[in-house]
Amino acid sequence: MEKAKLSAYQLFVLVLLFELGSAILVPLAIDVKQDAWLAILLGMAGGCFLFLIYLCLYYYYPNIPPAIYMQKIMGKAIGRALALLYILYFTYLASRVLRDFGEMLVTFAYPDTPMFIVNALLMMAIVYTISKGIEVLARAGELLFVLIYLLAITGFILIVVSGLIDINNLKPMLEEGISPVIKVVFTQTLYVPFGEAIAFTTILPYLNNPKKARVTAISSLWLSGINLALAMAINISVLGVDLASRSQFPLLSTIQSIQVADFLERLDVFFMLALIIGGFCKIGVYLYAAVSGAASLFNVKKPSKLVYPIGLVVLIVSLAIASNFAEHLKEGLQVVTILMHFPFQVIIPLLLLFIAFLKNRKKTG
Amino acid sequence: MIRKWIVMLLMMIGVTLISGCWSKKELTDLALIAAFGIDLDKEGRYVGTLQIVNPSNVAGSQQPGGGGGQGTAVSVLSTTGDNLDEVSRRASTKISRRLYYAHANVIVISEKLAKKEGINSILDAFDRDPEFRNTATLVIARGTKSADICRALTIIDKIPANKIIKTLKTTENRWGENIFTNIQDVMKSLVSDGKEPVITGIQLNGDPRQAKNLENLQVSSPEAILQTNGLGVFKDGKLIDWFNGKRARGVVWILNKIKSTDVNINWREKKDAIAYEVIREKTSVSATMKNGNPRMSIHVRAEGNIGEARAPVNLTDPGVLKKIEKVLKKEIKHEIQDAVQAAQKNKADIFGFGEAVHRSAPDEWKKMKLDWNDKYFPKLKVNVKVEAFVRRTGLRNKPYSSNIGK
Amino acid sequence: MPSFFKNRKEKKDDQDEKNSKKLPQFMGETLAGNLEIIKQRTGNSTDVVIRILNIGFQSEIKAAIVYVEGIVNDESVNDFLIESITNNRALKERMTKQNVLETIAEETIALGNVQTVNKWDELLVSLMSGETIIIIDGTNEAIIAGTKGGEKRSILEPSTELSVRGSRSSFTESIRTNTAMVRRIIKNPNLWLESIKIGKVTKTDVSIMYIKGIANDEIIEEVRKRLTSIDIDSILESGYIEQLIEDQTMTTFPTLYHTERPDMVAGNLLEGRVAIFVDGTPFVLLVPVVFIQFFQSVDDYYVRYDIATAIRFLRIFVFFISLIGPASYVAITTFHQEMIPTLLAIAIAAQREAVPFPALVEALMMEVALEILREAGIRMPRAIGSAVSIVGALVIGQAAVQASIVSPAMVIVVSITAIASFATPSFAIAISARLVRFLFMLAAATIGFYGIILGFIMLIVHLCSLRSFGVPYMSPLAPLIPVNTGDTVVRVPWWTLRQRPRLIGNKNNVREGKGQRPVPPENRGMVNNMIEKGDRDDS
Repeated sequence: MEKAKLSAYQLFVLVLLFELGSAILVPLAIDVKQDAWLAILLGMAGGCFLFLIYLCLYYYYPNIPPAIYMQKIMGKAIGRALALLYILYFTYLASRVLRDFGEMLVTFAYPDTPMFIVNALLMMAIVYTISKGIEVLARAGELLFVLIYLLAITGFILIVVSGLIDINNLKPMLEEGISPVIKVVFTQTLYVPFGEAIAFTTILPYLNNPKKARVTAISSLWLSGINLALAMAINISVLGVDLASRSQFPLLSTIQSIQVADFLERLDVFFMLALIIGGFCKIGVYLYAAVSGAASLFNVKKPSKLVYPIGLVVLIVSLAIASNFAEHLKEGLQVVTILMHFPFQVIIPLLLLFIAFLKNRKKTG
Repeated sequence: MIRKWIVMLLMMIGVTLISGCWSKKELTDLALIAAFGIDLDKEGRYVGTLQIVNPSNVAGSQQPGGGGGQGTAVSVLSTTGDNLDEVSRRASTKISRRLYYAHANVIVISEKLAKKEGINSILDAFDRDPEFRNTATLVIARGTKSADICRALTIIDKIPANKIIKTLKTTENRWGENIFTNIQDVMKSLVSDGKEPVITGIQLNGDPRQAKNLENLQVSSPEAILQTNGLGVFKDGKLIDWFNGKRARGVVWILNKIKSTDVNINWREKKDAIAYEVIREKTSVSATMKNGNPRMSIHVRAEGNIGEARAPVNLTDPGVLKKIEKVLKKEIKHEIQDAVQAAQKNKADIFGFGEAVHRSAPDEWKKMKLDWNDKYFPKLKVNVKVEAFVRRTGLRNKPYSSNIGK
Repeated sequence: MPSFFKNRKEKKDDQDEKNSKKLPQFMGETLAGNLEIIKQRTGNSTDVVIRILNIGFQSEIKAAIVYVEGIVNDESVNDFLIESITNNRALKERMTKQNVLETIAEETIALGNVQTVNKWDELLVSLMSGETIIIIDGTNEAIIAGTKGGEKRSILEPSTELSVRGSRSSFTESIRTNTAMVRRIIKNPNLWLESIKIGKVTKTDVSIMYIKGIANDEIIEEVRKRLTSIDIDSILESGYIEQLIEDQTMTTFPTLYHTERPDMVAGNLLEGRVAIFVDGTPFVLLVPVVFIQFFQSVDDYYVRYDIATAIRFLRIFVFFISLIGPASYVAITTFHQEMIPTLLAIAIAAQREAVPFPALVEALMMEVALEILREAGIRMPRAIGSAVSIVGALVIGQAAVQASIVSPAMVIVVSITAIASFATPSFAIAISARLVRFLFMLAAATIGFYGIILGFIMLIVHLCSLRSFGVPYMSPLAPLIPVNTGDTVVRVPWWTLRQRPRLIGNKNNVREGKGQRPVPPENRGMVNNMIEKGDRDDS
């Protein structure tokens, strides 16, 4: 573990940026059409529950990174294997987000540029950041947080002012009943983006005030859930269900619809800023999770040395995981959810908590 | 440490140089397209007409080396192809620069194409292309080929596409017989089961051959001029009818798009004696189910001023104003009912009544949505309620004519 | 220019020292011998004045007064030293060979700073810094009398940090004057001053000043440590020290603040910072600093908060313009033509129609031309200055446009950028923005706004990774310290600025009492009385 201390506010900001990261750009939970916002809010509630599991584990071992406490809970061999799996999981997720990001940028702004370049440039910035340590990422996050909220508020005002919002697009509520919403919650929104906060288990040990972790993280999840729900509701109310569900990036289409005073239009750069900042933070946290996990697992004294190789792996994997965007999305929605998110975000943490609970009860008893 | 930095620096320079010029496009290598017209030729292939801006002829004559203001503001060329992508790519055989669609703000579709083939099959290209804006305006070339619309030069606004957009916006704001529809709106209506699109028609008054001459602009009253005219009513993506004049305004009333307009009423047998200027208007459409049948109610609330009074009328008397309001209500209601009836005759729900039903009765809507236009909409009972208020009467109270001969 | 001569002299002195290692360390007994050594060690420099006096009334006591002409205060040497030694009859009578040194040191010399030494090195350093040495025959000690002085510049208005309101004085080249100016503002015994000499050859006086009890002891210790570990032959300006003690060297951003305003130093000392004074330069260093400090000027604290806040917003905005102004132009005209309104796009296209270069080349050309002009403007003798501006205006303005080398829009962009970089209050940050601007332009030319945004993120990350004497550079914004954000991008009213920056002086943080918000009395005194009276009279 590097020597670093994070304040509760920094954790709050990082969780928020991480959650908003790529989720705000993609059509989240669009399968339930105008009820997407509801699915997001319910997913957020579930995500908070998941995060409480991770927090309980953290409170059992407040100063130890997960890669070590897994070994303490499960024994050396299994714990090591699990930690390794988590490192691979985070690396894979980092490259998935990077792929999302690259696809977006190539699609809407740089059609002639190879995705490798686009991804490599972003990875360069991220690797540079992570090699400076978690504190720097957190501080940069604090500034970017202000920036992205200024952006969001401006965008929101512009959307309202240009009279694009048609609340009627959100009606009727629960057209097909609640069951499809629940289904979407448990197959999509619970894991992406809320369950993904499991990456923060590697960052929690740095908190200077562990007591505040619960309140901070949960309130951050809440705020991000509300923001995402609001963003999706705005997307649908501006674009309509059909267009929103056909859009690869509904937020882009929403922003492109803004026309105020014949001058404030074509604000794609807003979207691009949000996109890059979001991608930066999300991949940054994943990469950090992978790097710090690997560092504590293999006992590397200077974690920053691992950033370059793992960053390179993320970059290459991001290009290799799928041959086209449709395949990439399909993988993300079907394969990854069942084979990866569910076990890594729900089953293993629950199992760990259970065993940790038994062990600690024995100790106290 | 130093070595690391040198490696970083080399990497950065490398990436910079490698990526060099992929998506780069200098402004001087672009042909900015202002308007895109689509026609059908005799073999049923698409003819795309591109209105390309000549920047140096637009932006004043002070530009050095630009020649300045001598030629036409736009150049127009047409190509044919089986789909729009092909049209666009083939056009490069005729022009030296890369065609750039991000500033194409007007799409003109010819009446023939809209009637025969419909617009369903052509909008995807605009929707999918990241360069193209979904906020581009869609108009129908009424009575002419869209190529002629694109070729016509315009007065006051140098770029014809701008003229079309501004005219549409202004007339929507001031007169209210046309509406400003962009691709996104049209597509939303096309996809929706409970709404059909309406698109404003634009026509060329005068000789198309005159319209493309620069001389046409150098006279005080040009021989050929572009003008908005009527609303094209679509069903299943095909143009089926034109609504003109007051009927078109009836549609705009229901769509809640009237910003201000002028309603004339008769006063004491004098026809169109009083002009009422609407300054604020709000229409709400709601649906209720009665005995399994949907029923629409339209509620219009208009506020406005007296703009002109050609008959002697005592405008200082609130009772008179009440009377005027009463007549106004009738007049507006009539316009709206006429529009509804005409639409019902065409079996095209251009008002979005179906969507209102969907919102208020989602379960019943599921049964109705498949043959809404053909079965339910034409028989729909529509209840129109109009409120009109005269707020002010301008600078004078009584018209001077009431004092003549006294 | 006393400092210049002093420096040259001392270098020579040092060379001699190296040449003759065998020289004695302590003074000898005979006057002649001692004077011979002084002559030898100073290479017989012509500005070293040796005056031999005969003091003592009956027995002959020979003494010599040695000083360097020009760097001593002539008045003190003549009136208070020579005069009082030679003309004091009563004393002379009491003097014997045994007590002469004590008598002179303790009773005769009418000067404040007197001490006795016997080491040659100390003696010579004192001599070279403007003190007068009195050597007496038969003693192996010498008296050093503080007669530092000589010609120095008077206190003038600051030339680089102008302000509309506030003190009009700026530091001078004399360290003593400078510290005195700060003392005059902060009249408090807790204002502590420590001095060391840095520079093996120049022996430059360097002082650190802080307010005991407000400044963080760890930071003072750190400053002391870094200063004492400097091993260099010369310190000619505070810039030397700045570069030798900064935290991070791979950055264009300043992590020390330099100022020539005493009120600026005083204000920062009161916030818990440490000032480093260097003799021979009017620029005083302040540590530790934070990024946002470079956007604050002393004026901000003197004018009312609303105006100060508005101006700070303007400065931040201006800083962004000077960073990414030309880069945005390049990005828009080569990658994101869709982002500008159609008519503007056409207008720019029309302007660029006849320009043969790509936008990047155009922008680089203009920016470089501008930098050349700016550099020329600084170095140019004042008489030719106006000629430069005329030529510059012609070249990068009208003529370049008419020759179709650049487009008018580019000229506007470059001019705004230039003005923007002049509007940044701190030259140090403005100049780093100038450098970074070129990087942004390259990034923009490579991949448009994506490059700019990435560059921007990396800039933020870089700034966040910097520290100044252990204090995070972006604090109190990142890490956020809510109590201290009142004096960052905004400046809240004085009556709410109750706390000093926490990271900098970590104790004794409260600087004003509660309830400082002015509350005007209900009864507005005379004015109201009169009005009320007047009302009554009328009615």
